[in-house]
Amino acid sequence: MQDIKLKATEKRGLHELEAGKDLLGWDEVTQGSILPSFEGDASNIAHLKQEERDYSHYNSYTATVASWRVVKPVFNMDVCIDCQNCWVWCPDTSIISRDKQMLGIDYDHCKGCEVCVEVCPTNPKSLLMFNEHEDIENALSQWPEKKKKEKK
Amino acid sequence: MTEIRWHSRAGQGAVSGAKGLGDVVATTGKEVQAFALYGSAKRGAALRAYNRIADEQIFNHAKFMYPDYVLVIDPALAMTDDITMNDKETTKYIITTHLSKEELIKEIPALQGKEDRVYVVDCIQISLDTIKRSMPNSPMLGAFVKVSGMFELDYFLENMKRVLKKFPQKIIDANMEAITRAYNEVK
Amino acid sequence: MPKEIFELQDREVWDGNYAASQAMRQAQVDVMAAYPITPSTPIVENYGNYVANGYIDGEFVMVESEHAAMSACVGASASGGRVATATSSQGFALMAEVLYQASGMRLPIVLNVVNRALASPLNVRGDHADMYLGRDSGWIQLGAFNAQEAYDLALCAFKIGEDHSVRLPVMVHQDGFITSHTAQNVYPLSDEEAYKFVGDFKPVDDMLDFSRPVTYGAQTEEDWHFEHKAKQHKALMDSRPVIDKVFEEFEKISGRKYNRVESYMMEDAEVALVGLGTTVETARVAAKQLRDEEGIKAGVVAIRNFRPFPFDLVRDALENVKSVGVTDRSSPGGAMGFFFNEVSAALYTTPKRPLVTNYIYGLGGRDFSIEDAKNIFREQKANADAGYITTDIQQFSGLRGPKLGFFQTKRS
Repeated sequence: MQDIKLKATEKRGLHELEAGKDLLGWDEVTQGSILPSFEGDASNIAHLKQEERDYSHYNSYTATVASWRVVKPVFNMDVCIDCQNCWVWCPDTSIISRDKQMLGIDYDHCKGCEVCVEVCPTNPKSLLMFNEHEDIENALSQWPEKKKKEKK
Repeated sequence: MTEIRWHSRAGQGAVSGAKGLGDVVATTGKEVQAFALYGSAKRGAALRAYNRIADEQIFNHAKFMYPDYVLVIDPALAMTDDITMNDKETTKYIITTHLSKEELIKEIPALQGKEDRVYVVDCIQISLDTIKRSMPNSPMLGAFVKVSGMFELDYFLENMKRVLKKFPQKIIDANMEAITRAYNEVK
Repeated sequence: MPKEIFELQDREVWDGNYAASQAMRQAQVDVMAAYPITPSTPIVENYGNYVANGYIDGEFVMVESEHAAMSACVGASASGGRVATATSSQGFALMAEVLYQASGMRLPIVLNVVNRALASPLNVRGDHADMYLGRDSGWIQLGAFNAQEAYDLALCAFKIGEDHSVRLPVMVHQDGFITSHTAQNVYPLSDEEAYKFVGDFKPVDDMLDFSRPVTYGAQTEEDWHFEHKAKQHKALMDSRPVIDKVFEEFEKISGRKYNRVESYMMEDAEVALVGLGTTVETARVAAKQLRDEEGIKAGVVAIRNFRPFPFDLVRDALENVKSVGVTDRSSPGGAMGFFFNEVSAALYTTPKRPLVTNYIYGLGGRDFSIEDAKNIFREQKANADAGYITTDIQQFSGLRGPKLGFFQTKRS
């Protein structure tokens, strides 16, 4: 492994992604609408975690779309079996998982589509949708019990 | 400016002949042009190729010309194509045929009255004898060298060897023989 | 570096295709992706041959269409290589979508366009229909009038497009068959001189630079698209001095001087013909003969570099003549010819506003003779003498059947 200085930059969701904001003139836009993803030299960063990488403001990692969401998924680690189904299916790469262990949700990029809840196989679900303004602790306290199999 | 029009069938080598001639002429320091009108033409279709030779850069890109020489390398085309089109009072004709000059002119009314400017040579037979296939372009070059007096035969042969250098020695030798024979046989 | 040395004479007899392919070899093009089409086939065929025989250290990529050919060129160029290809006619039309991608991403690809008519009816011969199709694509477009120029301008094209202040793709046009298949004297540069002139390829934003990963092909929509296209247009307009500089440098090593607008016998000209391609040279012969034989002060103006359009230079070249015949070798499709429109617009901003008429000619490779050019000059002379346009404003030259023309001058 290359000996490079690890630094936690954590540039996630620094700026709001919305139309009509931070617009540049023709003389300021990049040549060929080509966008560099990182600040400075990005050699040998493949082993770094997202939060350790120096993303540029062109990269969506530094933008947040949290305000686009009206309902949010809440993750209950007590029920989760780390099957990674939600990580695979999330269309916005907003499930944070390390070493196949679910850690939580990237609320800067999650748009509240509910796919993670849909694909969660546990009983009860390890992810459930709540109102955006619902407190996480409060949401976890309302978690449903395991459902019994319905008799036919 | 010397202008030459070739009458040929696709596959008989008029385009290569015109380009080969251009190649040799260029070595004398002259400016040349060699082109042909073909495209979707299939083997055997009538086509015309053209040369221009001048001391100065050639700017005229039209196919239209008043030819100084008309080179016909297919015997039947001499009869069916309009070989005297846009000719001048000085236009010289070199025509591939097994006929004598008198017999040929009898067959082509357009050539009557131009007897002193018509030359015949059997490029087909010469190529069959030397190159062992019907390839009348090389013999026609030999006949042209004789009739035009543009080069010494030896100079032309030396330079054609360079033009043909990608071919095996046997083919180069056969072409040299074909050019020499036509040079000697054109009447 | 190539393994084999190609043997060159000081004086070669090459056709336009061969000449262009030799420029590709001397520039040591890294990647050529191509789908061959008549009459440009020998350019890409020869490149493949040079690669196979060790004369070029490069890669020939076979693809399934011209759309794919230009797409592969875009990919290779974005990766950071010197890239070129060739096409004609329908092939050019199929590339059209990707031409805009290449210029929008500012990729300095060189495209040899051997001009050929667009079907239908099917025709392999030369007119400028394909070239006109590319006129809004954001490429620099250069016109060669003979084989020597097809070679010279191809070398210049790399140096212009790859200049870091330009970074735009460049087309080099030559007339199908009339240039591409006509062998003429060509005086090539040595391999060393040619490569030194073109220089090493210096990549910008290359995708193979792992220290700086980049996104190509971003989506913009209405809040960004306009600014990007304006910047691109500005770059195209700003390429003009770079083109002038490259032409000057080329003159130093070759003795051959090119200009964005070429003027012949225009110093004292009363009437002029404006054109492109081999027509320009034929018209020069006609103008000279008319001066000697009929005393008509005829001149010829050629728009060698018609994108970016040299609005000011066209004006400078023509503002003092009385009548101008602008020739368009493309079916105008229900309008005045494109060259006519652009030249007229330039001349409209001069104090004297010369008379301008339009000749549609040479479609599908129809021969354009010295006599055809003379007739255009003679009609301009009649206009100059009368002080108004005496013919239809748009006419067809060299067409069989009843005379065809449209629109007359409004005189009251």
